[in-house]
Formats: sequence, C-alpha cells, structure tokens
Amino acid sequence: MIGVLDYGVGNVSAFLRAFYLNGVPAKAVSCPDDYESVSKLILPGVGAFDSAMEKLNNSGLRNKLDHLVMQENTPLLGVCIGMHMLGRASSEGNLDGLGYISGVTEKLKRKIDNEVMVLPHMGWNEVSIPCDDVIWEGINLKEGFYFLHSYAFLPDQSNSIIGCSVYSESFACAIRSSNVYGFQFHPEKSLSNGIKLLTNFAKI
Amino acid sequence: MLRPRITPCLLLRNSGLVKTKQFTDDKYVGDPINAVKIFNEKSVDELLVIDIDASRLGIDPDYSVIERLANESRMPLCYGGGIKTVRQAERIIQLGVEKVAISSAVLESPLLIRQLSETIGSQSIVGVLDVKKSIFKGYEIYINNGKKKIKGSLIYWIKAFQEYGAGEILINSIDRDGMQNGYDLELVKLTKKFITIPVTFLGGASSLDDIGDLIETFGVAGCAAGSLFVFKGKYRAVLISYPSFIEKYELVLNRISKFKGHF
Amino acid sequence: MTDHRICTRCVMDTSDSLIDFDDVGVCDHCRTYDQKIAPIWQMGEGRDDELATIVDRIKKDGRGKDFDCILGMSGGIDSSYLLYLVTEKLGLKPLVFHVDAGWNSQIAVNNIERLVDGLGLDLYTHVIDWQEIKSLQRAYFKSGVPHIDTPQDHAFFATMYKFAADNKIKNIVTGGNYSTECVRNPKEWMYHQSDSMQLRDIYKQHGDAPLKTYPITNILWHKVYLPYFKGIKLHRLLDFLPYDKESATQFLVDNYGFERYPQKHFESRFTRFYESYWLTEKFGYDTRKVQFSSLILTGQMSREEALMKLESPAYDPNTVHLEFEYIASKLDMSKEELTECFELPNRTYKDYANQEQLYLLGTRALNFLGKELGGKR
Repeated sequence: MIGVLDYGVGNVSAFLRAFYLNGVPAKAVSCPDDYESVSKLILPGVGAFDSAMEKLNNSGLRNKLDHLVMQENTPLLGVCIGMHMLGRASSEGNLDGLGYISGVTEKLKRKIDNEVMVLPHMGWNEVSIPCDDVIWEGINLKEGFYFLHSYAFLPDQSNSIIGCSVYSESFACAIRSSNVYGFQFHPEKSLSNGIKLLTNFAKI
Repeated sequence: MLRPRITPCLLLRNSGLVKTKQFTDDKYVGDPINAVKIFNEKSVDELLVIDIDASRLGIDPDYSVIERLANESRMPLCYGGGIKTVRQAERIIQLGVEKVAISSAVLESPLLIRQLSETIGSQSIVGVLDVKKSIFKGYEIYINNGKKKIKGSLIYWIKAFQEYGAGEILINSIDRDGMQNGYDLELVKLTKKFITIPVTFLGGASSLDDIGDLIETFGVAGCAAGSLFVFKGKYRAVLISYPSFIEKYELVLNRISKFKGHF
Repeated sequence: MTDHRICTRCVMDTSDSLIDFDDVGVCDHCRTYDQKIAPIWQMGEGRDDELATIVDRIKKDGRGKDFDCILGMSGGIDSSYLLYLVTEKLGLKPLVFHVDAGWNSQIAVNNIERLVDGLGLDLYTHVIDWQEIKSLQRAYFKSGVPHIDTPQDHAFFATMYKFAADNKIKNIVTGGNYSTECVRNPKEWMYHQSDSMQLRDIYKQHGDAPLKTYPITNILWHKVYLPYFKGIKLHRLLDFLPYDKESATQFLVDNYGFERYPQKHFESRFTRFYESYWLTEKFGYDTRKVQFSSLILTGQMSREEALMKLESPAYDPNTVHLEFEYIASKLDMSKEELTECFELPNRTYKDYANQEQLYLLGTRALNFLGKELGGKR
C-alpha cells in the first residue's frame, strides 16, 4: 500500500487517482494511524518551502515519517517542494529540511548574459540520465515531464543525481539516496511518463 | 530544453462546451468530460477550461464538473470563471486543479493576488487579461465577456500582476477569438519587453503554423487555442484534434531555432 | 428449464430464446442466411452492374453540388473503409457526416481525422445536446430493458435523415453490410432502435425534463415517406463489393494511419461498456455471438476460433469497475444508483408501448417486394 502524505500541501488527489486507475493500492496519510499497512510513501509538495515544512512539522506525521524513512528504510518519493524538503535547507526559507538526502536548495539563475530568464521554470522539459535506474524503465525521456519551480536541489554528492534537466543551466531534476527518491517535476501531472514512474516506484 | 506549451482552451456555458467568435455567436461543442478525456488520451501539454458565464452572472463555479474534469486529467489543468474569493480558489485547488485563472476579481482588486499567493501559492495563480485593440488607445482591457472596459493600459496591468505575485499571465485577444486568422503578433511583440513570468497567448490560432509563428516571435510561451483543436474544415465540424508528440517536437525545434533572444 | 444448446454451424445459442434448430442442429439464423441473404448478396461478387446503377444515380443527383451524398461515419472500420471505396474507387464526392453523442473514444476521433484528411473530404458534425441524451440514457437504464443503446443509435439515424431532408440530399450512404452483419441481434436483445413510440414511452415513464432538441425519427417517415415521396434513399454500398474485414482494416492501417480498435464498438465508450458488460452480465446476451456468427457464415472466422474467444469474458474483469464508475459519473449517477439499475428486474420491449406490429407488417411487405432480405426477428 502506498501512503500519500496529506499534510495540506500538494495535489494528493492526483496521486491517489493515478494509482487507483492503474490498480495500485494507495491511500492518503493524514494522521499517524494512517501509516498502518503502508509500505512506501509519497511526499507531495507545492508552494513555498517554509510553508510546506511548517505544515509537515505541525501535521503530527513528522516523527513517524523520520522513523520509517531513516530507521526502517521505507521507500519515499518526494515531489517538487517535497524534493527540496529532503535536504538540509533552502534559500527560499529559514526552516530546516528533513535531511534525508545531503544537499541544499537554491534559486535557479535568473540572469544569463544580461537577459532575464522567466521564472518559474514552467512546462514540459526533457530529462537526461547519467545511468540506469529502475525508476526510469519504460519512460520516454525526450517527452520528459511537467515542471513548475523556481528553485532546484544541489546535492552534496554528485552520485545522488539520477536525472538532469536544463533550464538556463543544468540542474538535478531527480535524486536518489538509498530508499529515498526526489523528483523536481510532477509525475502526477505528467501523463503516461508520470504514471510509469509512479508505478515503477510501486514495484520496487 | 523547456518546450513551449500547446494548450487547448475549452469554454463552458451551462455545463456544456461552446466556442465563440469575438466573444459572441456561440456554437455548441458538447460534453466537457468526454472532451477532457479525449484530450488526456491525446497527451496534451495542459488544459485550460473557462466558464464564461460564472463571473458575469455572479454565480459560484460548478465544483461538481470541475472535480470530474480534474479526475480525467493526468496533465495540468487550469480552471477559470467566477472565482472571486480565496475560499473558492482553495476549494478548486483541493479538487485536483493545478491553477486558477482569474480576471475580473483581480482587475477590480489586485490585492487578491497577494492573498491568494499566501494560501495556494503564486505558481497556481493565472492573471487573465482580455484585450481589444482600439484605434487610438492601443490595447484595452475588458471584463464581463468583453463588455466592460477597465482603466489602465495593458502594460500597466502586466506589471501589476507581476508585482502582486501572479505565477502566470494569460493574454486573450477578443478581436482574434474564433476568427482563426492567426495570433495577434503585434500584441505578442509588445508584451515581450515587460513579461518576467510565464505567459500564455490565446485567440486566433488556425493552424500549427500559427503556433509556430508565435514561438518564433516570442520564444517559449504558452500557445493556447480553442477553435483549432475543436473544429475541422469549412463547416466548422466539431472534432477534437491535437498534434502528436513528434509533430509538436518538430514544430517547436524548428521554430525555436528561428527565435532571436532569450526565454 | 431449457438446456443450453448451440448451433452446430455458427455460435448462436439458446440465450436467443427464439432460436430454432433443424434436425442437424443448424439454427434459423444460418438458414435465413442460406435461403434469403446469400443468393442475392452473392458475397458482393458479380454485382458490378447493380452498383454502377446506384453510383450513376448518386452522381446525377449530385451534379453541380459540393457533394453528391452524405456518408454516416463513426470512425469504425465499416464506415471508414466505405469512405475510402466511395471516394477513391467509385469516384463519388461524399460529405462525411458524423454524429457526436458525447461518447466518442480518442481512437474514433483520430480515425475520422485521418480518413477525412487522407481523402481530402469535408466533414460535418452534429453534436447532440449532451444534457438531453444523458437524460434519455438515464431513463433507459431505469427502464430495465436490454436495448439501452437506443438513445445513441436512434439519434444517429434521425440526425442523418433530418439533415438529408432539410438539405434536399437524395442519397445517404452507410456502412451497414452483410459481410460482418448478416446475422442480426435478436429483437429480444436489441429491439428496433427506430421505434419512436417505444422511445417516447420509456422517456415518459422514466425521464425528466422534456426533450427539446433530441432528434426523433419514426419508421414510417424514414422507411416510407423519405424514400418514396422525397426520393431520399439509403444505400449499403459495401454489399455490392467483396468486403473482407481484416484485409480492409490492414489496408487502412497501412495507407491512412488507421488505428485498430481493441474491441468491436470501441468507437463509443458507452457502447463498449453496454455490449461487453451490461448486456452480458445483466441479461446473458453476448453480442459477440452475433458478430462471430456473421463472420463464420461469410468465411472470415472459424467456429473453433469463435468458441475459443467466447470462453473469456467480453470485458476485462480487472478494469471494468473503472468503466462502471466512469459511465455512472458521466450520467450524473453514483456507483450505487447505477448498481440499483443493474439489479432491477429484467424487462422487455413488450413492457412499453411499441410499434412492433407495424415493423412486422413492414418487413413482410419489403421482403415480398424484394427490397429487404431477412430482417430482424
């Protein structure tokens, strides 16, 4: 059973719907009891870093989440702000991140050769991968995924990077450290590629 | 490379889809849920659904229809029409919609954008400008289906939306609506200097070539179209269409290479 | 309790309660084919002269006009192949006529686009008011009868006839054909969809707001008045040429980018659900038996293959609940409400007002005049 953390941030129903239509058992996790029988977790995220961290910290879900991910190695997939939250901190805010993957989040470069880049990075972009990971199986990387963000994760270890994309500069759009995955784009809104990614995650 | 979005735009009236010409003369297009289902299967980049009566009539958005549309969309969905309060916007986002498009409410009170950004986040706010060209005064802004003029120039409002924290701007040409005579490229060129957030243009697209022209003129933008993806041929026969991924990719690659400037 | 018995030649069986077997176990559907249909149809061979007469008439009627006939196009293989034949082989200028009842699948829409573009033709679409057809479909579900696809079918024909009459178009071309449809659904399973008295009575008893724009035809109008008084004729041109479904499909795939349907009637999401699930599970009527039997009789399928296919359900048991939910949701019903309809006692067309006698009389007359072969029973 996949548990989609419902802490008041992110398109929880889109994840649940995507899993439901593809025969993957999934439920929303809004209180600690809901962790029951969950074997994998999704951390959705949208909006501002501090707002999301605060809501997660106050949701009552935080302690068990830390335990499941760090002690029991429960697979976790963080999306967009959910990915930023996996790190230590973000220049977008003041609160600490979860610290599951070593790294910080910084704003995408706004100026290239004196031209102002439009932010947020919004739309469909392709992904390139340094090496195979089961999560990418059956995915059309050229078609890519839907992005919507102004900040990007900078991992301390380059081998945490499992996917890159380019907007003004190259940035890590997919990271992984052991049981924890982070994706900058929105698989729940990326058509067949997104569904494939989510069902691949469910099969790990 | 970030690709320009090619976005079908569907208009809702009395729970059914319609298509207009210069904001009048509507033709019935059918059931919105089946249309969205077909667009989903055609893998569209994103979808824009606008209720054209809700604001004018002062009625609430139809949450039941919105929820069902969101259920069928595995790609980003933007809904507009009748949104006047933070509570309404929040409810719509919770139904699974990515973005809300707002016109009259933010033109009457731009502070609403800031209030919304504090709850649903900037990225989910699309400020809509319906524009009509006047002979002496350039482009003017309208609300209520093009019937009531608003003070302030196009540039003034683009800057205001950006300052108050909108995540995207949708510029809709009333003159070109349903006319299928190409996007208003003068309008497009005019806005380029002032826009610092994502923008989408709507009104006039009659072919993929027109979309190509928009890309060549502006660079990466949202290229929205209604009639193009919903009608076919000289009898304006209702038939949903959308370019395949290859067609889209080739068009974009070809035309972006001709664009001079930055995104 | 009657034992289950199946025809020794085709695969129709006692789920058709009026089926009748001869002393070697061959059913009456097969006998009707042998005696009434095959001798005239001749598998579409050697009918060039008849075809030429019809084509000449169509060309003459259409002289000086933008198009000489309208062709009813669903996006399915029959109407798609017919469109190709009529345009490229017979030299006609059809207006492609499509009726949108709100259930088009993406494949159907795509196929229509490819054929229209590939053949350089004009398309005309009539969109039925969704709120009205939804009300009608809800009424049919509540009525308990098996023929709940009548709202779509009735609308298709009524719209085409009305369009032809309003625009003074003398020739309508449709993809109905003996090659894949020589065995017809028993009336018990799918009663005459053109019977407007039945439609009105079902709606009166189970419908809601009055129908204002939904197109209604009636059998006398389109089978007698239009052809004999207005000269508007329906032509089933696929009957005048050899028509092999599989090679026709492959041809369109190779030359027009036609996309195959995973199942029959996949053009309409509603029809697919209705025939594969509702009709089979609620009534025990499996229309695949009718379709396969037609293909067996016309040499396009072996009985063994048909029997093998009939062993698995017509729907995918893993995903049918998703279809069920979609249908319910689209018709503004909860899953529970649609389930209640499913559990209603099974009714028949006889439970509602109908013009069956008129149809029986009409069929006899047309058979006598040689204008129709076989006929629905």
